[in-house]
Amino acid sequence: MSLATDLWWAVARSEEVTSKKPLSVDIGDQPVVLWRDNQGIARALEDRCPHRRAPLSLGCVRDNGLIQCGYHGWSYDGETGRLKEIPNMKDQQKFPPIYKANAFGVSEQAGFVRVCLNPKAEAPLSADPKYTYVGTVNVSCSHQEYLNALYDDPALVIAIRGVRFSPYLMAELHEEGGMLVMERNCQWNPLHWPSHFVAEFPLTLLTRTHPSTGETQLTLRDDQFNDLLHAVLSPVPSARGVTAVRWRAEMGVRHPGVRGAILRGINPLSVLATIDGSKLRTTKPTVSLHGEDLRATMLDAPHSAQDQTQAA
Amino acid sequence: MLEVADRPVSPDDNAPASTGGSPIAMNVVNRWVPHNIVMLDSWFPVAHDYSVSGKPVRRAIYSHPIFLWRDNGVAVASEFHPNERIARDKSAHTDARGRYPVMEHYGVVWVWLGNPLAADPRHLPSLPFLPPQGGLPRHMTATVRFESSAPISLENLIDLTHADFLHADVVGDERSDSETVETYYDSETVTMVRTCVNKSVAPVMKFFSGIKQPTQNVRQVIRIYLRSHCAIAYGRFSPGDDVPLFHPCTPETRDRTRMEMVMNTSNAGRMFRHVMPKAGYKVSRQDSYMTSPQSPRYMRHTDRKDLHSKFDQAGQRYRMAMMELAERQAKGDFAYRDNVSDDCSEIIGLRKELFQF
Repeated sequence: MSLATDLWWAVARSEEVTSKKPLSVDIGDQPVVLWRDNQGIARALEDRCPHRRAPLSLGCVRDNGLIQCGYHGWSYDGETGRLKEIPNMKDQQKFPPIYKANAFGVSEQAGFVRVCLNPKAEAPLSADPKYTYVGTVNVSCSHQEYLNALYDDPALVIAIRGVRFSPYLMAELHEEGGMLVMERNCQWNPLHWPSHFVAEFPLTLLTRTHPSTGETQLTLRDDQFNDLLHAVLSPVPSARGVTAVRWRAEMGVRHPGVRGAILRGINPLSVLATIDGSKLRTTKPTVSLHGEDLRATMLDAPHSAQDQTQAA
Repeated sequence: MLEVADRPVSPDDNAPASTGGSPIAMNVVNRWVPHNIVMLDSWFPVAHDYSVSGKPVRRAIYSHPIFLWRDNGVAVASEFHPNERIARDKSAHTDARGRYPVMEHYGVVWVWLGNPLAADPRHLPSLPFLPPQGGLPRHMTATVRFESSAPISLENLIDLTHADFLHADVVGDERSDSETVETYYDSETVTMVRTCVNKSVAPVMKFFSGIKQPTQNVRQVIRIYLRSHCAIAYGRFSPGDDVPLFHPCTPETRDRTRMEMVMNTSNAGRMFRHVMPKAGYKVSRQDSYMTSPQSPRYMRHTDRKDLHSKFDQAGQRYRMAMMELAERQAKGDFAYRDNVSDDCSEIIGLRKELFQF
């Protein structure tokens, strides 16, 4: 899978990246190893030792912050990717510049570690706070199909406790500030009239999606325009057609009554690890069809979608 | 301090020592696609002799089916199962009855893959630390598999610096006062000799041979027979034991490898004699941890060059020698230019007094 190299992908949650053990992630077909150096800075290199192509993620993080390949012990600096040490070579520890692993750009904000395959790309700014509810799932579904499922029927990929997504949109998918934005009517679960006969919907789910990365902000609102739930969903295309989804969520204003109490349970948002294939197959591409056209238009436009602004 | 030497076994006066007269230059080691290398006209070790009985067992070399059984005590290797209703053509590697040339030696059943008329016991690799007629106890043998191509496994073996990391809990870490690596080669073999002074003592010897000293002097030899994908791994530890290992890497498929290993620990103490061969199960899993993900990354050619250190000289020589041999075979030249069955005791530094048969 070929991807634009200037995109910033939220490939890990901050707490997943440690100095104890390297973390293996992918951006499309590109394997990436992440770790935190001795200054606590997240680092990203190609997950491939340039010596004998073994995954660096099978190695370890040394006390000096270098990542060490577990095969022959070559150690690399995270910032530059330069080879710093070969064990036993006591007489020579300076190596030509070509002795390096590919280093990637890293930016850590709002509880996500974002990686850009272009190490010189400018990191995006995010004003988001760090949400406390978190999770990671790997879904056997392509990145675009995953986003299409989210557009056409969010229940295929997420669940919000006590909330049912209706097929009725309050605002169809449209471009707004370089993002793909839509708003879907929702109902409280489980007691309600069928959505076909409902005059007023008590809830809406607002989604704002980056047209290239698919990183999506979710906001659940009640009919008084209170934000009940905020979440960020970050799907990243991974190896073998899998989509790795990292997410963070936070409760907003407390909705009164039993329904609000149910929503405020231990973890109000669930991101599903599997998609029901029979439902997916028969789900009409009502939003996504339009979305594909809109996305193509935005990506062709010079100042909107190619803007590297993340879901901010 | 490390010193490295790379020289042909029989120096060619007309060739510079750095290339050994090889038609394949050193820089082509980066065109290494081991999965594309298929060796023919060679004896491959396929089974321990005790594994072959009246009931057929199945093996493979490069996916060619091999069924082994005994007929009146004599090993038979056929490309067809005796109960098979034959619905496929016979290969060119077998005789009119579909039988491969087969022989038993060193307690191992060897099958010849290639032109059956060229099969000759003179092309059997020399393994001077194993009794020619077999007979070592079973606890000195094991069968393990690698999910990688055979050349990847052998390249892994010939660079012993990997052992200091992957197998530190068995053979000790990388610390030593000095280290010397020498590589010898001819058209059929590559031999690497690594000498370490005051190396961290191997934990397995500390615990099972009662070595009290913190360090030991180590001389390790890896000798690879290119066509057969067989290796000798011979370690001499002082204080400690002599541990010669027959380390075949039979390419059952181009990306799966079978090892019918034999470790002759007859001269070691009782505990070590029984425990050390079993370490092969652990060590092979540790190797697989790296070679399994590594192997697919060598399946296709890439323009990106591997980086090398001076420790990799033997591995580079192995790549070159394999590519050279494969190139010769591709041109129809299957001749042995060097004799692999000549006693290699001197080359590997075998203490013959310990291995009299």
